[in-house]
Amino acid sequence: MSESLFGMPPANVDADIAEGRVALTVDTSLHSLDAIYAAAYAFIGRCYVLLERPAPERVRVVLAPKPSGADGDALRALIGEFANELLSATWRREITRSNRALIEAVTMQAFAGALGSPSLDDLEAFQFGDEPFEDPLGIAQSWEEKYRKKPRTPEEPTE
Amino acid sequence: MIELRFHRDLYAGTAIDSALGRFAGVARFVRREDGADFVVEVHAQSPGRERTVAGELANFALGLTVEAGGPDR
Amino acid sequence: MKLPVSDSRSYAAFFRFRELGEHVVVTSLEGEWVVLRRDEFSAFANGKVEPGSDLDVRLQARNLVREHFDVRRAAETMARRRRFVHGGPNLHLVVVTLRCNETCVYCHASRADLDAVHTDMTPEIADATVDMILRTTSPHVTIEFQGGEPLVAFPIVERIVERAVEKNRSAGKQLEFTMVSNLALMDEDKLRWLLGHRVQICTSIDGAKSLHDKQRVLPMASSWDTATKWIARINAAYAEAGLDPTLYHVEALLTTTRETLSRWREVVDTYVELGCRALFLRPVDPFGFAEKTRRVVEYPRAEYLAFYRHALDYIIEKNRAGVEILERYAAIFLTKILTGDDPNFLDIRSPGGAGIGQLAYNFDGKVFSSDEGRMLAAAGDPTFLLGDVRSSSYREIVGHPTIRAMAIASNLDGQPDCIDCTYVPYCGTQPEHNHKTLGTMMGRMRESSMCAVHKGIQDILFEKLATADNETLEILRRWTTIRPREHFLQP
Repeated sequence: MSESLFGMPPANVDADIAEGRVALTVDTSLHSLDAIYAAAYAFIGRCYVLLERPAPERVRVVLAPKPSGADGDALRALIGEFANELLSATWRREITRSNRALIEAVTMQAFAGALGSPSLDDLEAFQFGDEPFEDPLGIAQSWEEKYRKKPRTPEEPTE
Repeated sequence: MIELRFHRDLYAGTAIDSALGRFAGVARFVRREDGADFVVEVHAQSPGRERTVAGELANFALGLTVEAGGPDR
Repeated sequence: MKLPVSDSRSYAAFFRFRELGEHVVVTSLEGEWVVLRRDEFSAFANGKVEPGSDLDVRLQARNLVREHFDVRRAAETMARRRRFVHGGPNLHLVVVTLRCNETCVYCHASRADLDAVHTDMTPEIADATVDMILRTTSPHVTIEFQGGEPLVAFPIVERIVERAVEKNRSAGKQLEFTMVSNLALMDEDKLRWLLGHRVQICTSIDGAKSLHDKQRVLPMASSWDTATKWIARINAAYAEAGLDPTLYHVEALLTTTRETLSRWREVVDTYVELGCRALFLRPVDPFGFAEKTRRVVEYPRAEYLAFYRHALDYIIEKNRAGVEILERYAAIFLTKILTGDDPNFLDIRSPGGAGIGQLAYNFDGKVFSSDEGRMLAAAGDPTFLLGDVRSSSYREIVGHPTIRAMAIASNLDGQPDCIDCTYVPYCGTQPEHNHKTLGTMMGRMRESSMCAVHKGIQDILFEKLATADNETLEILRRWTTIRPREHFLQP
C-alpha cells in the first residue's frame, strides 16, 4: 500500500512500508538520465534498484533495502540520501563539463607520471586486437575529430 | 511470481538478456515484450528467493545498462 | 551575507570567500589569499576600492584585482601547487604480518593473534613486493613497514630492506625506510640492526599512561611502559650516533578516540615530555573496526574540532614558552597557505594520492590503493584491490581502472561544493573515506566528516592568521619549514 513519508513531498516520494520499498519520482528536465544512473548505481550495493517510466518526462526510482524489514524512518532516510546523491550527481556532471579541460589535463599528467613509458615487456604483452582501446578522455582523437562542429540535431538548444 | 518491467528508455535489451543469462540457474524466467517494456517474470521456490533473485536481476540489468552507456539507441 | 554583485566585475578578479566572525577570508583561483574586514570585503566585492589605497595595494599584491591580474604568475602558482602530480607512487606501505602482540580498542581488521602465522608475508612475496616497489616512476621511495606489528615478522623486514638496498643499486632511487611499531618486541639486537640500516622508527602514543594502556592492551605488561622505555633508548642511540636530537628522535602517532577529546592538555604534555617534536591530532578513521567499536570510539566532528582548537592553542602556548612542537595538520595546511608549496601529504591533495602517490602491499601479495583500501578489503569490501605482486605488472596496478576513477573522484575541480569552497586550493579528499562513509568514491562534501574536519581546521588557522600577534605568526611560519632527515636516506 502506497503511503507518504513525513517531510517528503507526496507528489515525488511514496513508500510501501509493508513491502519495504520507497520511490522517488524524478523530473528528467531537472535531472538527466546520466545523473539518475550515477545516483542509482551508488545504491545497488545495499538496495535493489528499479527504474520505471511513469510518464515521458519522469523516471521513478524504486529502492528496496536488501535486508528486508526496513521501517518508515529507515526508508525516509534512504530516499533522502538518494535525493542528495542525485543532486550531487547532477551538479557534478555540470562541473565536470565546465572543468573538463583542467580535469583531463591533471589526470593525464598524473597517469603519465605514475605509469612512465612502457617497457619492451609491456609492449610485448600488449594485445593488438581489433577492439578499439578505451579512450575516455579522447586523447587519441585528432584535434579535428575532437572539436569539429557536429551537425545540429533538432533537440539541441540554440544560443 | 514477481513481474519486473524494464522500460526501453531506461534499460538496454542486451543488458537484460545478459543479466538473465547470469541468473539462469537460480530461478525460472519468462521474458516477453509489452509495448515499451521488456517484461521478465521471475519464478522461484519461495517468495523470499523470488524477491532476492528479482532484486539482484534488476541491479544487474541496471549495472550492465550503465556499463553499456545507456539504453539501446 | 549575499554576494555583492554591482560593479564587482570591473574590479575583482575571480575569488572565493568565507565569513569568519568579523573577517572574510578571500582566496584567488590559484590559492593566493587575504583576510579582510567586512567593510573592506564589501568595497572589494562591489568594486569600490580607492585606487592606490592600502587595500588596493594589498589586493593587487595577492593578484585579486582584475585590471592587474598576472596570468603568468597565476599559472606558475597553480603549477607549483600541483607539482606532485607527475611524481608517481613514492609511499609504499608494506604489511609484513597481521599478527600483533597488542589489542587496541580501535583496531579490528588490521590485526591477527600471535599464533596466526599464516598472516606472515612469505619470502617469495616479500621479494616480489620489493621488485614491484622499485618499478615505481617516482625517484623518491619510502617503504613503510606496518602491521600487525612488524617486529613480529622481523626477518621479513630485514629481507625487504636488504633486497631493496641491493636492487636499488641499479634502480637509483632516493630510498628510505620507516617502521611503525608499538616497540614492545624491540630488543638491542633488532635496534642495532635498524639503526645500522637507517630505518626510521615511529610508534603510537595515545596520550598519558592511563589512556594509552586502556586503549592499547599488552598482555601481562604496560604498553605505555614498554613504548616509552624504547623511545628514550632509541633517542639516546641517535644522540650517541652524533645525530641532531632536534631532528632525529622517535615520532609518535596519536589516535584520537572519544576518550581523548577531554584530555587535550594531557596529550600535548605527554608528547612534549617524550621529546616528540610533532603531534598529529588525527580523528579516528572509519576503517577496520566493527560497528560496536565505532559507537565506543567515534564522536561528532564538532566535538573533535573543539578538541583540536584547545589542543592547538595549548601547543602554541608551549611554543611561546620555548618548547618546539608542531601540530601536523596545521603544518600541512599552513605550508600550502603560507608558502604556496604542497608538502605532498597524500590524503590532503587534489587529486588524492591513491595509486598515483602511494600503494599498499598486503602480507598475501595483494596490492591496494592505500592502507585504508586494504583495511576495507579485510572487512569484506575489495573495491580498492588492484592486483597481486606475483601476477600483476606495475603498469596494470597503477593504470588500474579503480585508480583512474579515484584520481578523477578526488580531483576537487570536479567536486560539487569544493569548487565553490574558499579552501579548495589547499584541500583534498580521500575516495576510500567517501566510499566507506557516504557510499561513493566522490562522496557528498556537505555530509562528509573529513570535509568538516578539513574545513574546521582551516577556519581555525585563518582565524589565527587574521588575529594572532607577530610571535604566534612566527611560530606558525616556523611550522612550514621542513628540515629533511637526510640520515635516513640510503647511501
